[in-house]
Amino acid sequence: MKIARYSAAMLATMLVAGNAQAVSLYVGQYKAGMVCAQCHGIRMPSADAPFPPLGGRDPEYLKTAIKQYRDKTRKSDIMNAIAGSLTDSEIADIAAYYGSVKP
Amino acid sequence: MKKTTIRLRKNLLASSIIMLLSSGVALAKSDDMHQIYQDNCASCHGSDHGGYLAPALNAATLKGRSPTALRTIVMAGSFDTLMPPFYGKLSDDEIRGVIKHLQETPKQPNPAWTIDDMKKSLKVYVKDESTLPAKPTFQIDDKFENLIGVAARGKYGRGEGSKAIFINSATHQKVGEVATGTAAHIIDFNPANPRWAYVKTDTAEIFKVDLYSMKAVRSIKTGWNGPGMGVSRDGKYIMAGSFVPHNAVILDAETLEPLKTFELEGIDPDGKHVSSDSGMIIGTPYADIFAIALENAGQVWVVDYKKEGFPVTKIEKVGRHLHDAFLTHGGKKLMIASYDDSIVAAIDLEKRELIKQLPAGCVPHVGGGSAVVVDGRTLGFGTNFGDCDKTVVSVWDLDKMEVVKQVPVSGGTESPAAHANAPYVAVDIISKDRRARTVQLIDKKTLEVAKTLDVGGHAYFPEYSADGKFLYISAGYNGDEVVVYDSNSLQKVASIPMESPAGIFSRGRVKYMTRGLSPDEMEQHK
Repeated sequence: MKIARYSAAMLATMLVAGNAQAVSLYVGQYKAGMVCAQCHGIRMPSADAPFPPLGGRDPEYLKTAIKQYRDKTRKSDIMNAIAGSLTDSEIADIAAYYGSVKP
Repeated sequence: MKKTTIRLRKNLLASSIIMLLSSGVALAKSDDMHQIYQDNCASCHGSDHGGYLAPALNAATLKGRSPTALRTIVMAGSFDTLMPPFYGKLSDDEIRGVIKHLQETPKQPNPAWTIDDMKKSLKVYVKDESTLPAKPTFQIDDKFENLIGVAARGKYGRGEGSKAIFINSATHQKVGEVATGTAAHIIDFNPANPRWAYVKTDTAEIFKVDLYSMKAVRSIKTGWNGPGMGVSRDGKYIMAGSFVPHNAVILDAETLEPLKTFELEGIDPDGKHVSSDSGMIIGTPYADIFAIALENAGQVWVVDYKKEGFPVTKIEKVGRHLHDAFLTHGGKKLMIASYDDSIVAAIDLEKRELIKQLPAGCVPHVGGGSAVVVDGRTLGFGTNFGDCDKTVVSVWDLDKMEVVKQVPVSGGTESPAAHANAPYVAVDIISKDRRARTVQLIDKKTLEVAKTLDVGGHAYFPEYSADGKFLYISAGYNGDEVVVYDSNSLQKVASIPMESPAGIFSRGRVKYMTRGLSPDEMEQHK
């Protein structure tokens, strides 16, 4: 119940934010935090991690790369599995969000 | 996975060589897996496989768990926890091997770490301390009060990301950092000499840090795991306690040489003789004593560090599973959280006895604690992180030792921050969903939640700057920054990037003892 109320509050905030760009960045941030940041970090991956940074990268490049992983034209066990769960709009939101982050 | 993507870090070199040598052969041997566990997992899951910050991993706790499911967690990490992804850091054979090893290994008996082991672990990085600069080598106020230390854990709880990072809270600029090898957990400042700080890691090393040059000058390993540490009011002694093994030690704060160890054991409130983890350790401005909580034995020990042989007074039956605490009444009283009976116990350090047990939610975790004076009353604030319906922050009248109010907040909380000059008490919501991004602000006067900040990441450990003008909050794992707010307008004013920041420690703490009290309060009790 509390969660539901909280989600409603979040949704209200998102609607108030108004223009489409802001909403997609917010969703992108949330989705990036859930799906990508565990390995890639937000601004940059861990100093000790063998993963490439995504923060500040060109959104178009990110979109293409994630879609290639999704349709398996680019091979990586783990990325094929993770990208496979994303929709086009989620990919666009995530790419826009990472593109907006200063590394 | 390409072999070339594996970075051969120093601590992984040995295991990587083993892996290369054994590739093509069957799984590596159990000894190697033990080493992989110690080098990658033990700082959070416990060197004895008994759990620490993270769950226990042994034959009993992992019984019946699917190795495939466990492998997924190790490879990809676990969302909204500190568990990082080991994909690319450990090979698939190593991950399979370590899981097999864990499912076959029982919890280890209390592994020894003696005073001799400690002595041998002492490292000196700066031999001649007179070569250190006489003043801070960076811009900061003359009183050196605006310094804030952040325990940056690093994604993997060890490696290049693990540091203590220091910030000037007037400019929000980073002024220095000290690499700690494994995750920094606690930063204590020397109350007698502003140049020294002590940083304790999750693998129980203590670093003596020269804040003027931002260099570690010495370090010692005091155990296998455990964050407990306190500094004496004269700045001459440190007491440190461990989860693994069950002991504590008093160190010379200047040389870090161990002076005496204490085996932590005793009769618990249910009459059972138990060996015990160390909970919080605190030095008080009121007397030449340390107080240490024996978690499982439910006792608080008071140690007189100025007396020959460091004699101990034991206060028994304080509570079941003691953890953290804060001081009040000029340091004469100690409020200590007891997880299992959902109370905070008030201890009189002068009389060395239990005063009262106060209701405190379901699993009270007071963090650094907070106390504020409102309309002549001194109010203590206690957070509580249980996964239960009672998601409240308890407010106690610390003179009458009674509950004033239990303030409903949106989830479990871990650490309250307050300052005499700031209008709100900040509490971190840590419930594992979107709420984890937030910090709630309780109005000191109305004792109601006035505002919710969406900090991002897993926001926790709020702390005010020494002047109370700014509120610092760790965005934690998945956040990788410390976010700074104006204490009154609550506008975001700065962000300082770092890897998995956790506890934030203002040097102001030595001035006001407990966060939220003013230095004048301290004077009154002298």
